[in-house]
Formats: sequence, structure tokens, C-alpha cells
Amino acid sequence: MSAYAALSEAGYRAYTRDKTTLFFTFAFPLLFLVVFGLIFSGQDVEESGKPYINYIAPGVLSWGVCNAAVFGVGFVLMQWRRDDVLRLIRMTPTPLTAILSSRYVLALAIGVVQSVLFVAVAMLPLFGLSLSGSWPLALPVLVLGITAFLVLGVIVGSYAKTPEAVAAVANFVMIPMAFLSGSFFPLDSMPSWMQTFSWVLPLRYVNDGISAAITGDEGAADIALACGGIAVFALIFGALAMKTFRWSDKV
Amino acid sequence: MTSTPRAPDGPAVVLDGVHKHYGDTRAADGVSLTVARGEFFGLLGPNGAGKTTLVEMMEGLRRADSGTISVLGHSPWPRDVKLLPRLGVQTQASPFFVRLTAREHLRTVAALYGADRAAVARTLEMVGLTEHGDVRVDDLSGGQRQRLAIAAALVHEPELIFLDEPTAALDPQARRALWQVLRDLKGAGRTIVYTTHHLDEAEALCDRVGIVVRGRITALDTPNRLIAAGSTTTRLLVPADRLTLAEAEGIEGVRRATEDGDMVVLETLDSGPVLAAVDKIAGLRGVQTRTASLEDVYLELTGSGAP
Repeated sequence: MSAYAALSEAGYRAYTRDKTTLFFTFAFPLLFLVVFGLIFSGQDVEESGKPYINYIAPGVLSWGVCNAAVFGVGFVLMQWRRDDVLRLIRMTPTPLTAILSSRYVLALAIGVVQSVLFVAVAMLPLFGLSLSGSWPLALPVLVLGITAFLVLGVIVGSYAKTPEAVAAVANFVMIPMAFLSGSFFPLDSMPSWMQTFSWVLPLRYVNDGISAAITGDEGAADIALACGGIAVFALIFGALAMKTFRWSDKV
Repeated sequence: MTSTPRAPDGPAVVLDGVHKHYGDTRAADGVSLTVARGEFFGLLGPNGAGKTTLVEMMEGLRRADSGTISVLGHSPWPRDVKLLPRLGVQTQASPFFVRLTAREHLRTVAALYGADRAAVARTLEMVGLTEHGDVRVDDLSGGQRQRLAIAAALVHEPELIFLDEPTAALDPQARRALWQVLRDLKGAGRTIVYTTHHLDEAEALCDRVGIVVRGRITALDTPNRLIAAGSTTTRLLVPADRLTLAEAEGIEGVRRATEDGDMVVLETLDSGPVLAAVDKIAGLRGVQTRTASLEDVYLELTGSGAP
């Protein structure tokens, strides 16, 4: 068994044996869907004339998937470093890429399961999302989004030294970003300066891409633009992650 | 993995003028030492003396401020993936992958080293954890966790094994069982560098010991030679009802006599004639002799009692 396969298996077991975290990873985005779905049930956004669910469903989904990617890898890296598991791995010939790719494949799997579950619930008559034929184009957006936010999680997990710090830093980054990127409220009904500002937030691009793919309101060019934006952030975060990564807090 | 190394060349570990500071604390203050291949080398010293820092610098987990370190002919810093499979490391933290069983954890570590699957069962057996293989690591006792951490250091059959206080959490049986494992490893030609607080253990196992005090090696030799060079006082314990303090002080060669409970304690540099004299006065039944142990030497060198 390769180091990558072994770490993926160990990660998978650790993940599926923690029923509480597992449950809330999937329940959290659904909770937001229910809350916002019920608040805006049957309403349209004044500025665009489109139903709210077309904004909220892709927005909450993007945030949920990206949030899980940040928290998942952030907590694991911090814990592994604090408990010296990273030092144990450090003393084996395992390359860093094997560690990160094992976390990557887990994050992708979680993201896909989250998305399927989420879209299925959003399509219930109560919420009324209708899926466009272009929905498969959401996949590359999803994969790129998970990539960028996983790498962001590596930075958070390398910087933070305690679980409290991981939660504080990740929430500090993710919650304002969710609001400012239009995950919870349609950007179209926000002040124009806020719409402009949202272009420097990676979640904005994930929202746009997923929204375009599953509602079919924009074309493939918009999805490509979103993917390009996310890729740029992934590269920037990747460079920062390489700088911040530490095997141990002791030197 | 690779076959057991035979006819190895060059020393296993060489430290030359190694310094390491944390702020104002001198964790290593000019340490030089050599560990030969196949040697069982012990590092002793009080808490905070710098033992762990020394071992972690040899392992490559910490970087020396100055001086050179060579491990199996290579520098352990920066990380050298060619060197790592030849080293086995157990740290005091005993790290485990979360929510795995003992066997799953060891299987994961074996895979990280690229060791074969059969090594897992073999190593679990070696540390006596076979029947606990399916227990979650969190549910193991302290001693079992420690044995699992040691197993993780041995699973890939390394040439050079670093153990940081491996017997700290073990009960007496488990400790003796581990001694046997360590002796067998040494018998198979492996080199072992380890730290301990158990001086009886160091005396029983180590070819050589280094005593570390405030970041310096204050003594470095075989346990027997350290004992011989240190205190040469022998204590004779005679039941007090058969020998009075005055009689004891009157025996030639007795430097000091004290009463300790129901025994009279005679200190001497030359126990033979004193024993003969005691035999004449009180007989030898119930008389005990205490020669200096590594512990006496250790306490002397580490300045126990002194600030």
C-alpha cells in the first residue's frame, strides 16, 4: 500500500468514525438552505426578477462545500502538528504531496456527497430549485473551489496552534466572505460598492460558477471566467501555504 | 525491507561541538560524542537537562545552532528521505492517527515507511500487543500506547533506533519484556540510542552511557567503569542487635558508622578485612553488602541536593 493510499484510508476511517462531525458537515449547509429558503420562499429578487432560490441554493452550496474544505484540512493539520503525528510522518520517507493529496481526495469526496445531498433537498417543491441541463459544468467549479479552499485551510491549519484558533480564524475568514460574496443574500440586491468588492473574494467566483451551471442563467463563458478566477486564488493560496507549512511547532 | 546490516562501516552517530539554545536556555552546550554501530547507548540526566533535545537533533527533528551531526554518515538536517527509512524513532509524545485501532495505526505507519504488511503482525507480536490489535488506540492503557509507539519505531526494521524514555509508562513486567525486545534488537546488530530515568535499566542494558547535565555531557563511559571511577565506598549493613555503634567504629578500615533503623551501617573503602572483623564479632548471618551503583554515580554527577 502506498503512503498516499494509507493516509487516505486512515483519514477516511477517522472521518466516518466521527459521526457527530460527519453529520454536521452535511447538515450545516442544509440548515442554511432551510432557513433562507423559508424566509424567501416564493419571492423573486426585485432587481433581476429571478427567484431567490436561484441565488440562495448555489450560494449556500458553494459556501458549505468551501467551508468544509477549510475546516476539514485546517483542523487535521493543526491536530497532527500538535499531537506530533506530523513529526511521525516527517520521520518516514513520505512526501508532503502524499499527505496533501490524501486530504485532497477526502475533501473532494465530501464535497461531492454534500453537493448531491444539497441539490436533492433544494429541488424539493418546498424550495423549488429547478436544475438546468448545464449542471455538469458545476463539477469543474466545485473541484477548483475545493482546491482553492483546501489550500486556504492548509494556511489556517499551519498558522493556528489550537482547535479554538482554527475555528476562530476559519470563521473570521469564511463568514464575512459568505455574506460579501452573495452566498446568503443575492449580490444583485446589494450596494454597488459591495458588488465591486466581492471580486477580490474567491468565494464570489465559486458562487458565480455554480450558479451559472445549475440555474443555466449565464453561459459557459461565465463558468470559464469563474474557473479562471478560482484557479488564480488557488495558486496564490498555494504559494502562501508552501511558505507557512510546518512539520512541528518545535524547532 | 532491507536485510539486517552486517559489517557496517563508520560510526552510527557522531556529534561534534553541538550547540542548541532556546532563548537563554542552553539545551546543548558543546556536545561531542560518538555512538558505534551495534552499540546500545544510553543518555541519562535530570528532567530538562537536554536529553530529548540531543536525541531530536540526531533524529533531524530539530536543527543544531552550531556544530555538526552525522547519522549513518549523513546529516539528519534538512530532511533526507534516503536516510529516514534507516532510522526508527519513538518520541515522548507517542503520536497516533485518530480513531484507528492499534493494528490500523501500525499498518498506516508501515505503509508510510513502505514496509511489507507482514511486518505489522510481527511487530505487534514483538511488543506483546497482538490480542489488543483491534482495540482503538484511545482505549489502550498508557503502557499499551507506549508499546504501540515503540512498535511504530520498529515496524520497518531500522538500523538505528532512537527511543526517548521508552519504559516511562510501563509496569515492571512490560518493562522487562521490552528489555528483552531491546536485547534481541541489539543481538541482531541494530544500534540503539535511548534516554531513560531508570538507572538500573541503563546499568543492565547499555554498553555505554552519557550523563547529561545542563546541556553538557558530564560523564561518558561504560556503566561499570563509571561506577568504578566514581564512589568506591562499600556499605555493610549489620543487624543492630549484634553489633554496637562503638564496636563498629572500633573496626579498622571503617570510615563511618551510623545507625539506620535496626541496622548498623558501616562505610568502608576496603570491604574484605572489615567483613572478616564483623564475622569475628557478630557473625555474617543477615549481613548485607551494598556496593556503589550507577545511581550513586549519577546522583554524584548530577549534583542531587545541590541547586
